[in-house]
Amino acid sequence: MKNFTYYRPLSLEAAVALLDTRWGTTELLAGGTDLLDLQKEYIAQPDKVVSLTFIQDPVFTRIEVPQILPGTKPTVSIGAAVKIADIAEHAELKHLFPALTDAAAQVGGPQIRNMGTLGGNLCQRNRCWYFRDEHVLCLLKGGRRCFAADGENRYHAIFTKGHPCVIVHPSTLAPALIALGASVEVLGPNGKRTIELSKFFQAPTKPDQREHVLAPNEIVVRVLIPVEGLRNASYEVRHKQSYDWPLAQAAVAFRLIGGKATDVRIVLGHVAPTPHVATEAQKVVEGQTITRELAEKAGEAATAGAVPLSQNAYKVHLVKVAVKRALLLASGAQPDWVI
Amino acid sequence: MAEIKWPEKRRLIGTKVPRVDGPDKATGRARYSQDINRPGMLHALILRSPYAHCRIKSLDLSEAQKAPGVRAIVTVGQINYTAGKKEGMPGWEFPVSVTDVGRELFYHGDEILAIAADTEEHARDALRLVKIEFEELPFIVKEETALRRRQGPSTVPGKDASNVLAGGSRTEGDPDGAKKAAEVLVRGTYGVPVITHCCLETHGLVAEWESPRSLTIWCTTQAVPATANQLQNFLAGHGITCNVRCITHHMGGGYGSKFGPDIQGYLAAVLAWLAKAPVKLFLERDEEHLAAGNRPSATATVTIGGSHDGTITVFEATTYGTPGVGRAAGVNIGILPYVYDVRNVRISTDIVRLNHGAARAMRAPAHPQNCFITECAVDDFANAAGLDPMEVRLKNLPQNDPAAVKNTPTSFLALRNTIYTDEIRIAAELSQWKKKWHPPGKGPTKGPWKHGIGMALHTWGGAGRADNDVFVTISSDGSVVVQCSTQDLGTGERTVLAIVVAEVLGLDPKDLTVVIGESQIGRSTGSGGSTTAPGTAPAALVAAINARDELFRKVAPKLGMKPENLVLEPNKITDKASGKSFTWRQFCARLGMDTVRGQGNWIPGLSNLGVGGVQVAEVWVDTETGVVRLEKIVAVQDCGMVINKLACESQVAGGVIMGINLAMFEEMIVDEQTGRMVNPDFEFYKLGGMLDMPEIIVHMHDMPERGVIGIGEPPTISTAAAIGNAICNALGVRVPRTPFSPDRVLAALHAKK
Repeated sequence: MKNFTYYRPLSLEAAVALLDTRWGTTELLAGGTDLLDLQKEYIAQPDKVVSLTFIQDPVFTRIEVPQILPGTKPTVSIGAAVKIADIAEHAELKHLFPALTDAAAQVGGPQIRNMGTLGGNLCQRNRCWYFRDEHVLCLLKGGRRCFAADGENRYHAIFTKGHPCVIVHPSTLAPALIALGASVEVLGPNGKRTIELSKFFQAPTKPDQREHVLAPNEIVVRVLIPVEGLRNASYEVRHKQSYDWPLAQAAVAFRLIGGKATDVRIVLGHVAPTPHVATEAQKVVEGQTITRELAEKAGEAATAGAVPLSQNAYKVHLVKVAVKRALLLASGAQPDWVI
Repeated sequence: MAEIKWPEKRRLIGTKVPRVDGPDKATGRARYSQDINRPGMLHALILRSPYAHCRIKSLDLSEAQKAPGVRAIVTVGQINYTAGKKEGMPGWEFPVSVTDVGRELFYHGDEILAIAADTEEHARDALRLVKIEFEELPFIVKEETALRRRQGPSTVPGKDASNVLAGGSRTEGDPDGAKKAAEVLVRGTYGVPVITHCCLETHGLVAEWESPRSLTIWCTTQAVPATANQLQNFLAGHGITCNVRCITHHMGGGYGSKFGPDIQGYLAAVLAWLAKAPVKLFLERDEEHLAAGNRPSATATVTIGGSHDGTITVFEATTYGTPGVGRAAGVNIGILPYVYDVRNVRISTDIVRLNHGAARAMRAPAHPQNCFITECAVDDFANAAGLDPMEVRLKNLPQNDPAAVKNTPTSFLALRNTIYTDEIRIAAELSQWKKKWHPPGKGPTKGPWKHGIGMALHTWGGAGRADNDVFVTISSDGSVVVQCSTQDLGTGERTVLAIVVAEVLGLDPKDLTVVIGESQIGRSTGSGGSTTAPGTAPAALVAAINARDELFRKVAPKLGMKPENLVLEPNKITDKASGKSFTWRQFCARLGMDTVRGQGNWIPGLSNLGVGGVQVAEVWVDTETGVVRLEKIVAVQDCGMVINKLACESQVAGGVIMGINLAMFEEMIVDEQTGRMVNPDFEFYKLGGMLDMPEIIVHMHDMPERGVIGIGEPPTISTAAAIGNAICNALGVRVPRTPFSPDRVLAALHAKK
């Protein structure tokens, strides 16, 4: 690991003031579950590491669930420094947003969940094994090509059109939060701004880009989730049940009015460089009663536009199953795949 | 001296005895080699080849030498340097321009040099200051590519023309005739990839020179005296005559990959010599995957045939596998077909050498691969014949050898049919085979899940070895010290010695002090081939009996008694003549200033070799996602006379877990563009966690009349084959290759449609 100067500011403003205007020279440290690995592997070689762990601001560190009264449009606020384990175990969140808490409960292992934070989960770097190998000069490290495109790509993207770098975005909380209509409050040198989470992620193609649209001197303060009475669920297919990344994930949310699903959101994880909104699948479900047949059709539609790589066509199939199961879960159907 | 036999009535042997060092391990008091820190100790790290094949064009150490904290640098070229050496002049006194420039490196991870510095961080910084120019050379990292380029040229070490070597062939009977005559004939391809040992304690050591004539190493090794000897010989080759002492009090796994000092042992010893300070050098996880050994892959195209009644008449297999840059691959044609008695056989194998780390022995070398190749084919044959594969197994077992029955009635040859038949029956009962087995693809379903059950058999040697010395010392305070230079690579060896000695002396195993893992104690053999318990337990028995007899001889006259009248019972020594009795301590107190020392060496007649073993796997497969859930594994295992039932059961469960990982998760993945392993970690080199483990039911098939036989290796052999057969039973289609990940299961399912 390259030597660095360690800062531990006591306020968000002080933290922002320490940040640089370009990527790479300064890194934020929260749970450390990603940054430390990146530094040990010399993928990140910051001069400054700014720890966020001494910031006590409740907006940043707490989960706030307002009283939910009929006729109001309350918003849940989850601070960026909240541990993933605390999201997974939060009773009210479990009730309101099972898509989020189920996804949180399956992140990494207990150690990762107890250290990792919501902000870190959204801002983490991708897990591509070429990107994470210092000796491989891939697009994201200033090289001329993506090695996964023609190489070992079983875990990479299947939505590859227009993407010279075929990473998958590693967050499983993001698809759930996007489906729930969440937004992100960020703080920069010019104050706060709010970004819809569906517009928060981008597909990076070069070293001076991250997997999100934040400026290098911005910090995620909290995530805001509107309480809209949406039914929601997340389903992920994993090789291992313990400590593994999903092979494919679907998060869904919709309003059920008179037995029909409206305002349908279907977001896929681990299949594209960003969380992938499956618009074709949303159209299939919109205004319909969710049956097994419809859920299957939506699963088919969710794969529209998929162009898998040499080793990951199986993920196209997994998307269909994940979408189907997430829709059935959210609709309240008895899951027949749980044994 | 009367013939030494195991006691007829056994108070401790064969019972469940908690590990004597369990509390030490659970509390962290046990010090593994990696826990050793010495005053003034330096930390060393190894620089490795970033390429799959390259040549060192130039090597400049000047900046690294000047880096903060750096105390010594030595290159692999220097420690290997012998050409044109002067007497008494170590290789490292030659410049790297002579010893290293032009040296060829053959895989990602191949060692270049090591640096010792005051801190690990300084060593790492210095490694990055080494200036090397490489000439990149052609490499092959995929077996299919090597087979396509069979004509060469070779990209691996040695003078062969090609990467593909003929690994031999064998024909018995008339396979072509038998194929023609076969009523049922099936053909299939089965394979397992290269996997690595994944020792939780990585390879390495602390090396400290007490004087130019004396080196102590705290090394994680499964061959304590051999490691000391090899290092001593290496140093002698460089003109340094010294005594090397190796200490391995506790170790975190070896699985066949830790038989000597290894290159890091030589590097650390030389660094410590050069720096005149103790040096610690342990591999990191990626180095462990890259360069500390692996299990060769195996792929076989098998034609198996026979009659409608389930008799297998022909087994033909064309196979290949890769040992990386090594030379011996995983298909041992001598043991194919595995276990079963087939008269018409044709086997051939190719050894496909690739530019990745070399294979090493790994828990039952060659057996899991050959078991998988054979047992999957046996099930496919049974399925094609419409028969219960358990019945097919029973029908094709080798018979008990009549000559052996007469001459060596406790040998495996004499008992093999009996052992397998008994074990299959027990496994069938424990797994409810008769109730749960169903024709392939026709079992119970739960939503998208389909149920399957599969069986596989295995065999192993596990003989005792000579050259194992055990010493038992009894003092006048009643304390007993048991010493052997052997190592406990996680198997419970300390407790084995404690049980045997305590059995003879009428004591509690907890009351003994067992000292192992120190080369100066005496002779012991490496823990390979499941030989440690059968090698040391007989020696411990002899030593304990000798110590007891010596105690009687020394004390009896002082009490006016005759040694032959003394009877030893738990904590009680009685004189038959007078009826007087003593507690152990009272009796030992009569030694006064004297002590008693009994020595024992391995003798024949107390151990044996050859075991069977049967495993049954029960699975559920999600036919939509390809996810496999393991429900239950039943493992029935014999190992002759069980010494510690608790440790044996634990060994079997551990073997099963290792087999589960081979079946479900593990695979070394090497990229053909860069020649680099892409998953040298525990993130994408997958190992199951607790949530991935099924219920594991272990049944020890105790056969005390056979004497002690090793248990370490056999229980990992058949797990993967049993799981593969269970998945086939669930789906009605064969998933030909491990790991049984969703993509492979789905590919097999979709190919069926």
